[in-house]
Amino acid sequence: MDKYSRATIREFMSPSNIGHIDDPSGTGHITDNADAVELTLFISVDTGHITDAKYRIAGCTALIATLSVLSKELPGKTIDEALVLDMPHLSGLLDGLPESKWRCAGYAVQALHLAIEDYQSRTS
Amino acid sequence: MQRLVYLDNAATTPVDPLVFEEMKPFFAERFANPMTYTHSSSGDVAHAAVEEARVRVASLIGSKPEQVVFTSGGTESDNWVLKGTVERASRDRLHKPGHLVTAEFEHHAILHSALALQRQGYEVTFVKVGHNGIVDPDDVRRAMRPTTVLVSIMHANNEIGTIQPIADIARVAHDHGALMHTDAVQTTAHIPVDVNALGVDFLSVSAHKFNGPKGVGALFVRDRAALYPFMDGGGQEWGLRGSTHNVPGIVGIGKAAQLGKERLPEELKRLTNLRNMLFDKLSTRIDRIVANGDMKQRVPQNLNIRIEGIDNEPLLLAMNEAGIIAAGGSACNAQETLASHVLTSIGCDLKEAKSSIRLSFAHGTTEKDVDYAADVIPGLVRFLRSMA
Repeated sequence: MDKYSRATIREFMSPSNIGHIDDPSGTGHITDNADAVELTLFISVDTGHITDAKYRIAGCTALIATLSVLSKELPGKTIDEALVLDMPHLSGLLDGLPESKWRCAGYAVQALHLAIEDYQSRTS
Repeated sequence: MQRLVYLDNAATTPVDPLVFEEMKPFFAERFANPMTYTHSSSGDVAHAAVEEARVRVASLIGSKPEQVVFTSGGTESDNWVLKGTVERASRDRLHKPGHLVTAEFEHHAILHSALALQRQGYEVTFVKVGHNGIVDPDDVRRAMRPTTVLVSIMHANNEIGTIQPIADIARVAHDHGALMHTDAVQTTAHIPVDVNALGVDFLSVSAHKFNGPKGVGALFVRDRAALYPFMDGGGQEWGLRGSTHNVPGIVGIGKAAQLGKERLPEELKRLTNLRNMLFDKLSTRIDRIVANGDMKQRVPQNLNIRIEGIDNEPLLLAMNEAGIIAAGGSACNAQETLASHVLTSIGCDLKEAKSSIRLSFAHGTTEKDVDYAADVIPGLVRFLRSMA
């Protein structure tokens, strides 16, 4: 286990946007027993823009902190802009996540993609 | 300043101030090489200090002083006894690759030494461990072969603290003509350890687990002819381990052994009470909490709990933010993963292993420390569970 930045610890100790959205526009759910991860990301989309993002998470520190910064990045973005968000960007917002943690933190991005797919399948 | 509650004493303990005081003169004042004692009064002072330390360690483990060989620690003792006995018997007696019996939940000093032997063509059986964290001597019996050179089972596990039936396992080993080793790093100075009562041929000790300094340990050797020297050199330690003695460290392990022996009866009771008190309080305040490993056949300084629905990594970090230091797996393993091989060996799945933490105590642990941990940890568990 590599060492976390103070920014990551701060984000994890007071994470933003924990919770769920009633009647979300899209939901992304991930379960991985080996990584002890259970994650649901909810997004609200209005006229092409993401208006809200919330999540429920049981998982590691890196994933909690990444979800927190991701949830703050999403509101106001179009779907295309949201799809550009990736681990290098999110890691940067946390002053650099240890590389060994990128795989697990990456569930945040996967959950976002699943939520967007869900939104698109509902609207198409 | 924020309160610091150190509950990771199974990883290492602080050097006791009395130990440190006794070590100090041997850095700069009484610095002579003990091997020069035959012609140097300075050397004689250092030599006498080393031999006094040997007597103290022997007294702690019930051996003769001349059966105690000083090493650099538990890992060296473990490496040496596995490789030194298996290689020697294979070459001198068996004339073919010998066999080693050990258990799945051993410390990596044993597991990786066993794997190193396996890579070189020696045979190894890793005996399974019961769900209670205890090795069944009958499983060891079933693993024995005519070529078995050594059985090595730890006295108490470093993560879950469960005490193994070493005397029974030693009888199995001896019935089959094999030697018996136990890694007593987690038991020495914590519970009574007597090499004759245990019936072992070798026993590993590490000073820093009982308020001695890091970098020094010992190996109890009943019969020196049974193993190859660890290092060739200047003939120190009866030619078994060349290298100038680490005199301050050896003085330190000697003093720690003396203090450990004096304090053991009282500390055994005190730490058992503190440990049980913490578990009772946490069990009352946190639902879905389980102890890993048998709670009775257990060293007093160890508590290992599984808290359903949380990941140990964020819990440990949040505890650290609150000034409580604890562990997930063992410290030696912390770089790799927080899902411990010990917990999976006793039947935990990965998710259960990753929701477990170890809280370990020592001479410096107070009731206030335990109260603080019992007050703070439940809130952190609620914090993590509230995210799910």
